[in-house]
Amino acid sequence: MDVMSGMDALIQISDVTKRYDAGGVAAVNQITLQVARGEAMAVMGPSGSGKSTLLNLIAGLDRPTSGTVTVAGERIDRLSETRLARFRRSRIGMIFQFFNLIDDLTVLDNVMLPAQLIGAPRGRALARARELLSALMIEQHEKAYPARLSGGERQRVAIARALVNRPELLLADEPTGALDTRTGQQIGALLQELNRAGQTMVLVTHSPELAARYASRTAAIVDGQIEGRRLAGEPLAAGDLHAGAR
Amino acid sequence: MSARRVLRAAAGRGPGRRVQAVVIFLVLLASTAAATVGLALVAVDSNGAFQRSFTAQHGADVAAGVDPARATSAQLAATGRLPGVTAIAGPFALTSIGLDASGSPLGTVTVAGRTSPGGPVDDLTLTAGRWPSRPGQIVIADDLGQGPDDQTTLQIGSTVTVTTAPGKPKLTVVGMARSITDTAGAWVVPAEIAALRTPGAPALEQMLYRFTLAGSAAQIRADVAAVTAALPAGAIAGTAPWLTAPNTANGSSSIVAPFVMAFAIMGLVLSVLIVANVVSGAVVAGYRRIGVLKSIGLTPAQVTIAYVRRVGVPAVAGCVLGVAAGNLLALPVLSNSASVYGVGSQSVPPWVDIATPLGMCALAGLAALLPALRASRLSAVQAIATGQAPRQGRGYGAHRLLGRMPLPRAMTIGLAAPFARPARTMVTLAAIVFGATAVIFAVGLDASLARAATGTEHAEGPGQVVVYPGGSSSEFTAGQERKAVAVIRALPGTADYVAEATPTVGVSGLTRQVNAEAFLGNAAWTDYDMVTGHWYGGAGQADVNTVFLTQTGLSVGDTTSVISGGKMMTVRIVGEVFDPDNQPLLIAGWQTLGGAAAGLAIQQYDIGLKPGVSPDAYSNSLNQALGAGFGSGTYGGGLFFGIAKSLISMLTLIVAVVAGLGVLNTVLLGARERRHDLGVFKALGMTPRQAIGMVVCWVAAPAIAAAIIAAPAADILHSATVRAMANAAGTAIPASYTHVLAVPALAALALSGLVIASCGALLPGTWAARSTAAAALRAE
Repeated sequence: MDVMSGMDALIQISDVTKRYDAGGVAAVNQITLQVARGEAMAVMGPSGSGKSTLLNLIAGLDRPTSGTVTVAGERIDRLSETRLARFRRSRIGMIFQFFNLIDDLTVLDNVMLPAQLIGAPRGRALARARELLSALMIEQHEKAYPARLSGGERQRVAIARALVNRPELLLADEPTGALDTRTGQQIGALLQELNRAGQTMVLVTHSPELAARYASRTAAIVDGQIEGRRLAGEPLAAGDLHAGAR
Repeated sequence: MSARRVLRAAAGRGPGRRVQAVVIFLVLLASTAAATVGLALVAVDSNGAFQRSFTAQHGADVAAGVDPARATSAQLAATGRLPGVTAIAGPFALTSIGLDASGSPLGTVTVAGRTSPGGPVDDLTLTAGRWPSRPGQIVIADDLGQGPDDQTTLQIGSTVTVTTAPGKPKLTVVGMARSITDTAGAWVVPAEIAALRTPGAPALEQMLYRFTLAGSAAQIRADVAAVTAALPAGAIAGTAPWLTAPNTANGSSSIVAPFVMAFAIMGLVLSVLIVANVVSGAVVAGYRRIGVLKSIGLTPAQVTIAYVRRVGVPAVAGCVLGVAAGNLLALPVLSNSASVYGVGSQSVPPWVDIATPLGMCALAGLAALLPALRASRLSAVQAIATGQAPRQGRGYGAHRLLGRMPLPRAMTIGLAAPFARPARTMVTLAAIVFGATAVIFAVGLDASLARAATGTEHAEGPGQVVVYPGGSSSEFTAGQERKAVAVIRALPGTADYVAEATPTVGVSGLTRQVNAEAFLGNAAWTDYDMVTGHWYGGAGQADVNTVFLTQTGLSVGDTTSVISGGKMMTVRIVGEVFDPDNQPLLIAGWQTLGGAAAGLAIQQYDIGLKPGVSPDAYSNSLNQALGAGFGSGTYGGGLFFGIAKSLISMLTLIVAVVAGLGVLNTVLLGARERRHDLGVFKALGMTPRQAIGMVVCWVAAPAIAAAIIAAPAADILHSATVRAMANAAGTAIPASYTHVLAVPALAALALSGLVIASCGALLPGTWAARSTAAAALRAE
């Protein structure tokens, strides 16, 4: 179990279990985890291991069956849906494997959306969105629709959208999972750059290489339980990703 | 796995399917009920029923009053051989008598002397008892002598007194009968007539005619002209055509028919639209599932069957219950006309009960079959792709435009959404238009009926009190008059009062006596609504109702001869009042109708109350002050208007519910299609309230467009329907009866579409807001 002072931990997960059916198999089973500010943590595991479920619990997209989830000092497992939504849009940025951009909106409108949901004036949201698109080198696509973009471009748009409200925490669920290797590496490098600039992030991935390259710490999750933790630089054993490996 | 289980699995289960099944069931239930009511009213056409009765009873196309001094029986019989005359009956001796039953006056009644009820023309229906066999016996019309609330006060064996005949003879009621064209109010043996005639009243006979052509006023005038020309000059004293009879016979059924038809048609069209949309939408929503099932081996036929069955079960259940509901709803309207014609009870025709559910099921089946067939023909990949969100490119412009508006972002996203599915949006628009039109139409109709009710009741309406002599006398004594006036003036709640006599008078051109109201004093406050012209202002002026003008062929401005109390006088018609009674009415001042010299005597005092004064409390105070020898009463609202208002409310509710269900279905389909997007919005931080607002905004734009369409449409429909109702009642109406909704009120009512749309969207919006983002994001 990680021990971290309360002041350092941005995320504190204590004995969290998530079951989708009463009496059914736990997707996440008594997990305890902490993530420090400025840390880039990778949660790695095979399909069905519970890593995406864990990410959803951290984001407040789902509620634990038991246990507590504290993000930035807020017990998000106790928040109402409205307060969760408000918390999420101002403090958390989400990046998804399949981008989850809104097809009816232009690139610029997609990026501006979280800012507008907060109620930011259109001008301010516009300026911030353009700043991010420029930083991510896709400003030329601001009037395009997501269907016209490549996978890598869409993921850059998604990253820009996730950053528009300057979140304390960035959560990325398989950010390179739908991308080719080269594009994946580019996106990975982007995330690494963000982390170097101080962005706290949790990455969910099934790729040990991605975890090793872009995360300072990795937690392996198998069958809903943390099976092992590695710091950056420590090699991963071949059997670490298999069920029951310790 | 058996084929049946495969098909069941193909159709799918789960809460979403159950909701859809419930929606399909409710839509079919409401739509079938509305369609049943509508078709029943079309089928049981009032005039059709009257026409059947008229033919069966050999109704008289024309009833002619004849002066026996100017035409012999042979000459009258010869008119039966004129070209165009198909049958005659008569001459029947005729006279007008005053009848009284145990102290209760029954008014003036036209009595004819006939040896039997049957005949080649005007074959009477004997509804009780037997025909008179000797003098001293009388058969009365079965609607004569019915007291308030349709309680019959005369029965077989009752004794009536002829108050206008010498010696006031008594007659025994031996039977009750009905004439389809109301040629007389009572019948006696021919030999009795002379003894019943008022001293000094001229002898009169009645001839009844049926013609080859008698379908219009012009044809009847030509027929009458031919008969008149064939007889010596002055032989024909007056005629009454059958054309006015349907209006008098139809009563409330024909009056309500126009607005019920309007609602029924709206309900029918809306039902067809919504059923097609709901059912086809249910199948289209399953396209992706169909594609997956095809990819694992389901045949096209199995796919088609599975999805037709899926909508078939709730649709059939809804249709069956809808027919039952429609029958229940149609009963109040149809029951009114059943007794009028003596043709037995009237109900929804069997063919309507069969055709309506079959038709609605066929419609639902077709709406399911077409998209199911289409899906079965698509490849698995195409079916999956077609079942996804709307084709890209639609609605982009709307999003761009609305995104720039200074409105909350969730709202602008919602407002732009309908443009992505234009066909479905048009159906939603149509549903809301119909719903809003129904609401505006109902409010306008209610207001018009309220004005008509007030116009009908005028001096006898709520807020008015009438004082009349107690006991058996229908006229005040001089002492009673003095006392009544003193008490009325002294009561603090009195605003106005006027003395009134209600004689019957003869009018040139009419065979029957006409009800008259003679006012002694200022009666302008009685507030008759004027259709045209003005309230009578001086001697020699009179106001009449529409039926009077129709039956005499006169117009406002014409003069006519009136016989009151045996004295003839000329009156000028200066106004047409709104009085939808099916009998002609003449209103004039005391002296215009001859005053006391013509035998007029005060029979009641009409009292108008000050605002806020309770009629019941005033009446109690009045009775206490007057003491014995007087009676007073207050008047409640008309039963017809109460029934009409209930009917309007019921029909509006049906249409609004169907419209709301249509909107609900559209929003459900949209929420299902956009479930993933909703998950993304929530993941990005959209609060539940914002999500609900966004979903409601999906229908807000169509609702506002619907308001713009519905307001003028409802206004036109309202005016046309009120006029049709007036035509059915045989009366004209003042312009104020159609101009009931001011523009601001109309605009506010038009937003009822927004209310309907919001109600339909609120439930799916709440569901969307409640679902977790993670679950929504897992939806593809």
